[in-house]
Amino acid sequence: MADDGSGTGALDEGTENAALGEALAAEHAAVWGYGVVGAAVSEDAREVVVASEAVHRDVRDRVTALLSDRNAEVADAKGAYTLPFPVLSEVDAAALAVVLEDGVADAWVRVLDQAAERSTRELAVGVLTAAEVRAVGWRGAAGQAPVTSALPGLPPQ
Amino acid sequence: MSPTPPPRPPGFSRRTLLAASAAGLALLATGCSSPPADERERVTSEQADELAVQVAVQEALVSAFAAAGAADPALAAEVAELAAQADEQLTRLRAASPGTTASASSPAGAPPAGGARGWLREQIGATAASHATACLDQSGARAALLGSVAAGLRGHEARLA
Repeated sequence: MADDGSGTGALDEGTENAALGEALAAEHAAVWGYGVVGAAVSEDAREVVVASEAVHRDVRDRVTALLSDRNAEVADAKGAYTLPFPVLSEVDAAALAVVLEDGVADAWVRVLDQAAERSTRELAVGVLTAAEVRAVGWRGAAGQAPVTSALPGLPPQ
Repeated sequence: MSPTPPPRPPGFSRRTLLAASAAGLALLATGCSSPPADERERVTSEQADELAVQVAVQEALVSAFAAAGAADPALAAEVAELAAQADEQLTRLRAASPGTTASASSPAGAPPAGGARGWLREQIGATAASHATACLDQSGARAALLGSVAAGLRGHEARLA
């Protein structure tokens, strides 16, 4: 496992909070990004977008509260983000949603890797799972194959 | 000549999001097959036993894919990619479970006539639940791996819905 710089290499609240901070950044990005997705999809898909954005807002608020309770650093959302590619169509919007959910999955796998508390792992595996289920739908809408991932959030071996 | 573009705002591409975590995930990519390097990779006997159980659970799922495919050839073609991913998951779990070798997997039973798809989906859901529960009492790379496999299987379950 990567050294976290603490010297002992042990998992503790510090490693956990750092990973949660990264997850919070990913959730901020997802909330912002779903605004872009929503502007580019048809009315039929908008309900899914709104629901997805709401989930990310809830997770963002939960992580913010958790870190605040611990007096840990809480990063604010950035004022703006750079899109990874132009979003000019509904397919582009779905592809952006995949990027958002995959980014969230990456961050929450990192939380699982760095967490010291069982309750944090419970939160992480739930958020990770929900992100992957949403990503399956978006990959299909984006015309990507395969629509499923064997190991969401983990780099290929 | 085009005007000078304004400074780029911060990005949120996967590359950006991954930058901070790439180092930490490096070992995950190896499947944790290397000897423990530090304290966080120490595994208790209970954790090792539980991970071995999860290997067996995944083996049963791989068998379930085969059984469902044998019962319904059309389904076999449809879920070929999912079956391959279940195999990939099994490989990673075995690599992370010290001393675990390929074994004659426990039979997953047989799907009911005409109900292979639903039966397979149930097997996938049960396996995902098992891995997710086991993830909670692991730590470090093992927790990350089990959580990832569980999430991947929930994606499979959604695909078959």
